[in-house]
Amino acid sequence: MPVRDKVRTMSRMPILKTERLTMRYGHRAALTDCDLAIPRGRVVGLVGPNGAGKSTLLQLACGLVTPTTGTIEVLGARPGAHLDRVGFVAQDTPVYAGLTVAEHLRMGARLNPRWDGALAGRRIAEVGLDPGQRAGRLSGGQRAQLALTLATAKRPDLLIFDEPVAALDPLARAGFLRTLIASVTGIGATAILSSHLLDDVERVCDWLVVLGGGRVRVAGDVAGLLDAHRRVAGPPPPGTATVHGGIVRGGIVRGTAPAGEKVSLGDLVLAYLTRAAEEGR
Amino acid sequence: MTWLAWRQFRAPALAGAICLAAFAVYLVVLGLQIRESADVGAFRTRLYVVDAVVLVAPGLLGVFWGAPLVSREFEAGTHRLVWSQSISRRRWLAVKLLVVGLGGMVAAGLLSALVTWAAGPYDEAVGDRFTALVFGARNLAPVAYAGFATVLGAVVGLVLRRSVPAMALTILIFVVVQVAMPTLVRPHFGTPVTGTAPLTAQAVRNLTFLGADASIRGLQVPGGWVVSTGGLLTAADEPVDRAAYNRCVLGGVDDTPDCLAALDLHVAASYHPADRYWPFQLVESAIYAGLTLLLAALGGRLIRGRPRRGR
Repeated sequence: MPVRDKVRTMSRMPILKTERLTMRYGHRAALTDCDLAIPRGRVVGLVGPNGAGKSTLLQLACGLVTPTTGTIEVLGARPGAHLDRVGFVAQDTPVYAGLTVAEHLRMGARLNPRWDGALAGRRIAEVGLDPGQRAGRLSGGQRAQLALTLATAKRPDLLIFDEPVAALDPLARAGFLRTLIASVTGIGATAILSSHLLDDVERVCDWLVVLGGGRVRVAGDVAGLLDAHRRVAGPPPPGTATVHGGIVRGGIVRGTAPAGEKVSLGDLVLAYLTRAAEEGR
Repeated sequence: MTWLAWRQFRAPALAGAICLAAFAVYLVVLGLQIRESADVGAFRTRLYVVDAVVLVAPGLLGVFWGAPLVSREFEAGTHRLVWSQSISRRRWLAVKLLVVGLGGMVAAGLLSALVTWAAGPYDEAVGDRFTALVFGARNLAPVAYAGFATVLGAVVGLVLRRSVPAMALTILIFVVVQVAMPTLVRPHFGTPVTGTAPLTAQAVRNLTFLGADASIRGLQVPGGWVVSTGGLLTAADEPVDRAAYNRCVLGGVDDTPDCLAALDLHVAASYHPADRYWPFQLVESAIYAGLTLLLAALGGRLIRGRPRRGR
């Protein structure tokens, strides 16, 4: 295959693809029959309540755990095959307490073939981290910035964040998300970030995956999803299906360009999660 | 990865080096005293303590250097940081094991060399290098123990993921292995040689036990290792007359050696001769090296794809 075609095929290929992906811990199913195809170049929000399977999905994508059944492909290969092309920032952004900021960068340079030292140095200066400071004495926000720098300077094609802002206060949260998106777009990577708060992802994501009870409830382009959903009073119009009957102001339906009142992303996610919760009962 | 492994090993290595240096000073002083002394037997108790320390040291290395190696990463969650770098988990573990294992072996090697030197004149005078306490505290054996103990600690830490339980289990396994080795395994490194030895007055003085049934323990073959001792035989290869034996044994401690010697007895024993010392040191070290490699391979298997929650 000529290189150009190969590149074109690769860019069309989903960056993350799962088929009937199932993960059980003992008897408890964390994920059940998940089918997903996430395109390249997106900022993907992975939303769902606590225990929905978000962390499990991300850990599967990083190859930290192996699926019970089903398949998962990252960058067209099994997870963990492209360690140098996938960055992962774990929940509560762990760093080595005894190592200084500069030593963390040195570690990154030694352990990553595609390390971008100039980018790392620039980012550390931008966010005002002292290279001589021990990471154990950094604030939560600074620690998150250090972890983000390490993940970005690795220059991955896919950057995965597990609840990146859960431990931060609202101000640090907004600032961190801003630098996160700037970093991701700066290196031209695809990003997946999980959160149990829709607010966090709503601002920055253009692709959405809603997990509830270990299943994918809805997934797709954010603008497309907003186009396809409407709030209607009364029975669903022809060509639409009810997502959830609604509690106060009428139900939410899905169809191709349906009529009715536009919905916010928050309402849309809530409708799917409410239905998931009612089914689970 | 080597840089990170060294960087993380720096603090425990420093602590270990300080302990080692303090003990080394004592050993040098002791070694010089032994060389100046006319009566090396006076150092017996002190050398017992030193040997015990050297025997325990590899276990301590396993507990303080080996056990926290991986378990601390799990406790701090930093395995999720380092595993998301572009290095495979097996390679990460291999380098960590190599750094701490070699560090432990160097420390134990220095310790062993110093003790072997310090106790040299005493060991030569006593000629009992096969005693469990001495065999495991001289020359090559401590180095092999240290490699085994550190890797054991690390793999136990990898399984338990908690440092304190890992430390406890490490020392437990190490002690069991260190007891089983000299009692159950080491005697079978070679087929014992059988021979008879005359029961001279001097031989009787060296015995540790004279039984009422005319069985004896503690028979010594110069430089060798007696693994079993038969009954006392007369010059005509008949079992000793119990009445004569009892007269000697009960007749008074000071007279017993000469009294028994006068009976012209000899005793059959199976033993490992003195020239087996180095082969035994090598075989024992090789066994520990093999166990160490097995443990490392097990660690490599365990770390590859653990179907468990990552935190």
